[in-house]
Amino acid sequence: MDVLNNLVFGFGVALSPENLLFCFLGTFLGTLIGVLPGLGPTATVAMLLPITFYLPPVTSLIMLAGIFYGSQYGGSTTAILVKLPGESSSVMTCLDGYEMARQGRAGAALAIAALASLFAGIVTTLVIAVAGPPLADIAILFGPVDYVALLTVGLIGAVVLAGGSIVKAVAMVLLGLLLGCIGTDLSSGEKRYTFDLVVLYDGLGFVPLAMGMFGITEIIASLDETGGRGRAMASIARLWPTKEDFRRSWPAALRGTLLGGALGILPGSSATLSSFASYALEKRISDRPQDFGKGMVEGVAGPEASNNAAAQACFIPMLSLGVPPNAIMALMIGAMMIQGIQPGPLVISSQPALFWGMIASMFIGNVLLVLLNLPLIGLWVRLLRVPYTILFPIILVFCALGTYSLNNSVFEVGIMAAFGVIGYVFRLTGCEAAPLMLGFVVGPMLEENLRRSLVISQGNFMVFVQSPISATLFALSAALLLLMLVPSLKRKREVL
Amino acid sequence: MAKLKWFATVMLVFGLTTSAQAQYPAKPIEMIVAYSAGGVTDLTARIVASFMEKYIGGRTKIVVVNRPGAAGEIGFTALAEAKPDGYTIGFINTPTILSIPIERATKFTWKSYDLLGNLVDDPSGFSVHKDSQFRTLKELQAYAKANPGTVTVGTTGVGSDDHLAMLAFQRAAGVKMTHVPYAGGSMVRTAVLGRHIAVASINIGEAMQYVASGSPFVQLAQAGAMRSSVAPDVPTFKELGFDMESNAMRGVAAPKGLPPEVRKILEDAVTKTAADPEFQAKMAATFSPMRYLPPAEYAVALERAEQLLQKLWSEEPWSPK
Repeated sequence: MDVLNNLVFGFGVALSPENLLFCFLGTFLGTLIGVLPGLGPTATVAMLLPITFYLPPVTSLIMLAGIFYGSQYGGSTTAILVKLPGESSSVMTCLDGYEMARQGRAGAALAIAALASLFAGIVTTLVIAVAGPPLADIAILFGPVDYVALLTVGLIGAVVLAGGSIVKAVAMVLLGLLLGCIGTDLSSGEKRYTFDLVVLYDGLGFVPLAMGMFGITEIIASLDETGGRGRAMASIARLWPTKEDFRRSWPAALRGTLLGGALGILPGSSATLSSFASYALEKRISDRPQDFGKGMVEGVAGPEASNNAAAQACFIPMLSLGVPPNAIMALMIGAMMIQGIQPGPLVISSQPALFWGMIASMFIGNVLLVLLNLPLIGLWVRLLRVPYTILFPIILVFCALGTYSLNNSVFEVGIMAAFGVIGYVFRLTGCEAAPLMLGFVVGPMLEENLRRSLVISQGNFMVFVQSPISATLFALSAALLLLMLVPSLKRKREVL
Repeated sequence: MAKLKWFATVMLVFGLTTSAQAQYPAKPIEMIVAYSAGGVTDLTARIVASFMEKYIGGRTKIVVVNRPGAAGEIGFTALAEAKPDGYTIGFINTPTILSIPIERATKFTWKSYDLLGNLVDDPSGFSVHKDSQFRTLKELQAYAKANPGTVTVGTTGVGSDDHLAMLAFQRAAGVKMTHVPYAGGSMVRTAVLGRHIAVASINIGEAMQYVASGSPFVQLAQAGAMRSSVAPDVPTFKELGFDMESNAMRGVAAPKGLPPEVRKILEDAVTKTAADPEFQAKMAATFSPMRYLPPAEYAVALERAEQLLQKLWSEEPWSPK
């Protein structure tokens, strides 16, 4: 067993006292910044980059990787406790996680989130170890045409996200697509809906939008509904998940892991997208779809497993192809380059200690994270006892700080505030933010790939059925559409 | 007694302020990077900052601040509008520092800055997959001439140096190719690896790093005036008979009007950084081709590049006017 030998060798590297210490430091720091909304792993890794000049390459990468996946763990904490996504990939956790907290089950939600993440982390890391490089070679075969098909499936799935009226859900998806059009058009360089404001040239940011429509809207609604006192949380009957919670969570976590891992390998995808996909899937196949958004534990387990699986899986293209799928992987490539290591197809054979040491450290880091997070749950839950009149100004400050720290832009703080109010209006009219957010994420990617496909094919639409991947996915989305429309027109969505 | 205390306080405050002025820097210096963390400029800036800290001396702290957006315009504007007190410096990048003011009204031109020195000069270049049907630039030209509009060229967006290089090649070679813009260099590279596009128009430093990492990449040509230090075996477009130049220069600048003594300190720090062998080793490791230019020569280079771009803009604008 080659892989086994390599892993044993990797654990030898990762378990050295120094590497173990930095693995702990990284995951601890990651948890911390994950909990703080807005302040993301990218900024943290960028700030720590100069420190890595003075560390051995393996050690510094173990630390940086820990920060990244650690932040995915921490991101769910505020999502569950105060409906504030700590990372963009934890937006979906807000929906049912926060409802669980309101019902006095914050502890259960936090524990399930941590355990689902652990499961996903371990499984995906194992996949990287066994089949990372061949998977990366398959992933790059995914062309613009195939992304169009994949994103179409996603967009149709978006409608499933909504709880009530299908018309409102479609409207919100479309609004999300429109908001996604703001900014410079990549294909032509034309500016759209920017009103000559330079700050709008790159469009609206995901984080200010999500923070506004989830975090800020929740504050407004909570204060409004209670005459300024803030909603009281149900008292906590039990800190840990029940047997029933586990029974319902594990299949969701398994599906989330598969979905997140598959999407995470694709260089053109993201952890955010995979958590959306997992939530939609869970809701679709559940026998109680009407209860999603009201505290379903599957709605926490699935997306949390999925975003962590995607976070681990995106190391595959980075390590084996040297292609960074996101800014943080680009920073890690930078950290390696400064040390004279070129991430790419040769890195596994030329730097076995680095590759296997890092993979082994991911196993260790995931376990460390759960050991770190489970005892913290009691502390977090106690936080909910702080009177809301004291809690909400603190949340507001963190929202503003976090949003500002992303691009050092005051304008984005304003955008966040504006979307807080807009989100509240949506809420009053019974429209939901989740389909809008998905439209906003998927829209620009879909447009970019659609136009790219057609530019490359010189306007020939047949390419979409000529590629086997895309043809299959389009067939799937047609089936999905039928499956969704027929029964939902008959029952459930009587709100039409 | 009370009067004496008062007097002492005033003297103390006065003393502190005068010594603060005499001893620049008395607080952390911000280094604005007009691109996101994780990009090539960001990486260079973080290395440069750590060396400039050393050469300015004392307990100098240089903090890299990313102000990304609008292809660099947001960061460049922030740098141009900052107080010229030496506590805000930043990176300026060609061609965008020159091309954005040509495209539209801006609050800056390259003359809005006190130049402190150029550090990097990364030529544009064409790369293909190693199994590509094109083995030389001539073959690419011949094919593109026979089949207009069928050769797909990936770039990092409208108005980027990669795009300008592609336009320049079309003019020099008398061909027409298809422009496929991407949001980042790594996406262009992935597209070539997956054989979704034929040619990657990417900077030679980036391309050589991919080759060093074992990726199946072949460089057809580089677009500098001469061969870059990171790619001594790759011919230039000029050598192959195509009269064109395209590059991305990255240098350090400050808002115009620095106090002369502060300016001297910063210029010296950049000069010493550029001459530091350890710094040079880090730049080589990150495949950032170095070309140190003192402020006066930097200005000449920018002036010349600006004229070339203006000519191109009047003949064949690269983005909607």
